[in-house]
Amino acid sequence: MTDLLEGEIGIATESDLVVARKAVRGAADSLGFSVTDVTRIVTAASELTRNIFRYAGTGVMRWHRLERGGSLGLELTFADDGPGIGDIEQAMQAGFSSSGGLGLGLPGAKRLMDEMEIASEVGKGTTVTVRKWRRKA
Amino acid sequence: MASRTGPLERRKSTAGEVAPVDWEGRKAFVGFTSDDAQLLRDLRPVAEAYAGEVVEEFYRRFLSFPETRAFFADEARLNRVKAMQKQYFLGLTEGEYGEAYLRNRLEIGRVHQRIGLAPRWYMGAYSIYMQLTFPRVLAAFAHDLEKGQRAFLALLKIITLDKELAVTTYIAAGEEIITRQSQEIVEISTPVIQVWNGVVVAPLIGSLDSQRTQQFMERLLERIVETNSPVALVDITGVPTIDTQTAQHLVETITAVRLLGAQVVLTGVRPAIAQTLVHLGIDLSGISTRSSLAAGLRVAFDLLDLRVVAGAAPGARE
Repeated sequence: MTDLLEGEIGIATESDLVVARKAVRGAADSLGFSVTDVTRIVTAASELTRNIFRYAGTGVMRWHRLERGGSLGLELTFADDGPGIGDIEQAMQAGFSSSGGLGLGLPGAKRLMDEMEIASEVGKGTTVTVRKWRRKA
Repeated sequence: MASRTGPLERRKSTAGEVAPVDWEGRKAFVGFTSDDAQLLRDLRPVAEAYAGEVVEEFYRRFLSFPETRAFFADEARLNRVKAMQKQYFLGLTEGEYGEAYLRNRLEIGRVHQRIGLAPRWYMGAYSIYMQLTFPRVLAAFAHDLEKGQRAFLALLKIITLDKELAVTTYIAAGEEIITRQSQEIVEISTPVIQVWNGVVVAPLIGSLDSQRTQQFMERLLERIVETNSPVALVDITGVPTIDTQTAQHLVETITAVRLLGAQVVLTGVRPAIAQTLVHLGIDLSGISTRSSLAAGLRVAFDLLDLRVVAGAAPGARE
């Protein structure tokens, strides 16, 4: 079910974050991303899975390979049924945190990736989708 | 250290044991009643009559498979096990199924787990036993087949309970190993080494979750005080990912070290990690960092006002 280029991992404990990072590293490596980009993607995945663990408790990370106009990419989706984000604009500001963290996770993840979309409804949950495209060599 | 005593101590005291077994609840779920106990008691003379031949056939099967034959190195051992097996079978119809019975069954499970008998043979053995017993029980109750059927069901219930206890014992032993190993990993994965008088190095490897960070911080602070070291090098060469949480843990650790009056140099900051930290907006400007442990060691020597001087070969010294 979980091959290298697409799959799904449930997030419920801190050790699931390690499993998720490993899966994302495997996918990014096999798509031929540079060492720096692999580190960026894995770090973004680490931030976003940690958000699931910290705010919603449980959720799921999905990933799959992208292809658009001859370039390859990786899309990661992080979905949970947690409390949701009241003010997305505020959550995207560096230094804002509702949990005593550094408040850099969400804006940081956006900077590490090429594209980011957040869909969230208070009381229903949050879905964050991020993409990274491989720069042509 | 204090954080580990509570749950771990409890764990230790139950090492290899099945923590509180709800024996009465188990019997109730299977539907094992005092009627069943009575039926098994009534079965006792029948079981005594067939126990000998059932054991012989039972071991014929065991000896015809190389994997199970391997457990019986010699004749003496085989005979000893046969006698024990007979006792076990007769125990099923003993008539008392209280605490003593439970303890006995758990111990039997543990012994099999310890000798490394895989569940496939263990559980398969129960099936062989049932196959051998079923026709004999029915034959013994030929005059009252209805009772024979109830007696066999009673036997099936107690065997199911025995099997379940065995499986539980196996799982408990496996969990015990996992707990011990993950504890050991935490212990060995955060070494703090004194590399020079006044310099300790803490090489971090793997991911820094909150439990490991706590352990690491305690150990580092203890060693700094023990060795009276003014400089600590924290090396992150072996940490694959530094996200904001990990960075926060590192910054907290470094702040704690400074409170002891020591200085920290963060070493092993690879180019990819450096770029990522910038993207994340993590401010390490107040922290001395170096890309390699060697460069960090040089900083440590400078801080201690030590010079490394290339000298003549030792033989030429005099």
